[in-house]
Amino acid sequence: MTIFSATGISASYGRTRILHDVDLPELHDDEVLGLLGPNASGKSTLMRCLTGEKTHHGRIVLDGSDRDEMDVSAWHRRVATMPQTPPNPSVLMPTELMWSTARALDLDFSDRELADRIEDIFNRLGLDEFALSPLHVLSGGKRQLVGLALALLRDPDVLLLDEPTSALDLHWRMVVLDLVRERLTERGGVVIAALHDLDLAARYCDRIVLLEAGQIVASGTPGEVLTPDNLARVYHVETSVSRDEQGQPVVQVIRPIRSGKQVAR
Amino acid sequence: MAPADLSLHDRFGAIHRRRLMIISAMVLALFLSLGLDLAAGPAGIDIGDIVGGILDPQSLALRYRIILWEVRLPDALIALAVGAALGLAGIETQTILDNPLASPFTLGVSSAAVLGASLAIVLVPVLPFLPEAAILPVMALLFALGSGILILLIVRWSGGARETVVLFGIALVFLCNALTAGLQYLASAEAVQQIVFWTIGNLTRAGWLEVGLVTACFMIILPFSLRQVWIMTLLRGGEAHARSMGINVARLRMWVILRISVLAAFAVCFVGAIGFIGLVGPHIARLLLGEDHRLLVPGSAICGALILSLASFLSKALVPGVIIPVGILTAVVGVPVFLGLLAGRRKTI
Repeated sequence: MTIFSATGISASYGRTRILHDVDLPELHDDEVLGLLGPNASGKSTLMRCLTGEKTHHGRIVLDGSDRDEMDVSAWHRRVATMPQTPPNPSVLMPTELMWSTARALDLDFSDRELADRIEDIFNRLGLDEFALSPLHVLSGGKRQLVGLALALLRDPDVLLLDEPTSALDLHWRMVVLDLVRERLTERGGVVIAALHDLDLAARYCDRIVLLEAGQIVASGTPGEVLTPDNLARVYHVETSVSRDEQGQPVVQVIRPIRSGKQVAR
Repeated sequence: MAPADLSLHDRFGAIHRRRLMIISAMVLALFLSLGLDLAAGPAGIDIGDIVGGILDPQSLALRYRIILWEVRLPDALIALAVGAALGLAGIETQTILDNPLASPFTLGVSSAAVLGASLAIVLVPVLPFLPEAAILPVMALLFALGSGILILLIVRWSGGARETVVLFGIALVFLCNALTAGLQYLASAEAVQQIVFWTIGNLTRAGWLEVGLVTACFMIILPFSLRQVWIMTLLRGGEAHARSMGINVARLRMWVILRISVLAAFAVCFVGAIGFIGLVGPHIARLLLGEDHRLLVPGSAICGALILSLASFLSKALVPGVIIPVGILTAVVGVPVFLGLLAGRRKTI
């Protein structure tokens, strides 16, 4: 059973305050939280605070333990991040990257177990034929999948995904998010994903937090958050929101809203 | 070969075993090159006498014993030690700065050593009470270490941003070169000649003390490098991933640059600014062994030692009776090897 909460998160770069006292809803097993918001809304900074890369104020609590009181390596064994940038296109092979990660993090696998685990993850992500190819022959999308494979290697209880589908085509977007969902059903845990795509968010997230300029504008179920008013306020677009068979919102963007005030922002 | 039905464990294991074979062959080549280097020279000692003379010094005539033990062995061994130190420093620089063009020399370490040595050469005639033989390497070492400290301060100040480190290193190279040029402008013709000779790089100045110091420096630093091979390998996947795993990349960069500076400072202070090895040694090793730093780190040190040892052999063998400064030959040996490997790699893709 995993319970994750982050409250009162504030962070700055130099003197510029990026996040203002952000409270995320408490997440329980099997839940997916989507972070939505335009560019520079603070999504990535919030993700970096959650991983522990960025110093910040506020409390992050996993199963009753405050992160500040937890051992760093114990934290990183339970919480894994897939950063926005895919692994560099070097001569390194995906298998070597996975292998060195497991050994650098002191994951408790024998060589045989580790190889089998890497092979299993690569099979699920369709990377099996590239396991021993240099990363530079892989497309950007495939490298992004290697990034996800790296996060899955630790079998984390909390999976943080920073725009996990930005380099992927339609097919792989759905494969990745289906896989993340399936994994939750199989083993529990929680997922927090920063997303750009509103329809993917509506389809895969249980809760959504909508950010603007480092503050929460709306928080709740996709149906509660993805309303034409909220989207007009945050993204400055006119939308029409309908419902699909499951009752989830489907967003159709009609046109950008041009007003003197908003263009100036 | 139809690898599809083999497990990843077996296929990855096979690649690793092939790389172990390659690294064993490199060690063998190193021994051969050492033998060639020891046998080369105007005194005409044959290879059998050399092996015998190493195993049992008393078996050689006194004249040959002195040539072997006081001249050839120190020269040949310092080539291995300096080459290995520069190869190790080179691979660590390229990985930690994520820059294939980086080498210990682009951080300014060798330019600072040249400046220190030049200052010593110019000062010795002015201040005759200084012991000339010792002051030159000591000044070179101090200046090289000083440049390392400057770089470390910059790393700290910039929070470990690698572009800043590279830019500052290159600026430092220009500054040291300008100051050296200023010294040459003021110095006597004889001193200028000495400075130029030192800058080229030459193994023949080294004795057992120098061999011992450079070897000790390499042996002390190597275990620290080997302890971090996993982190260095995963760093090739990019800084963002390393950071997201809780690895403090800025602090890692401080430690690695400290190791690089000390290695490069000791490597160049006795033999002069032998360039190129720290740049191309790692690339040759990477072409042969891939990016797995478990093998790439020792492989790069072996490559560096091999290039400098072969260059040392050629420096004595090319023109009979003349020892060409080895710094002139490192690139002459290294570039064809590197181009050959690159060409071979293109065919296989």
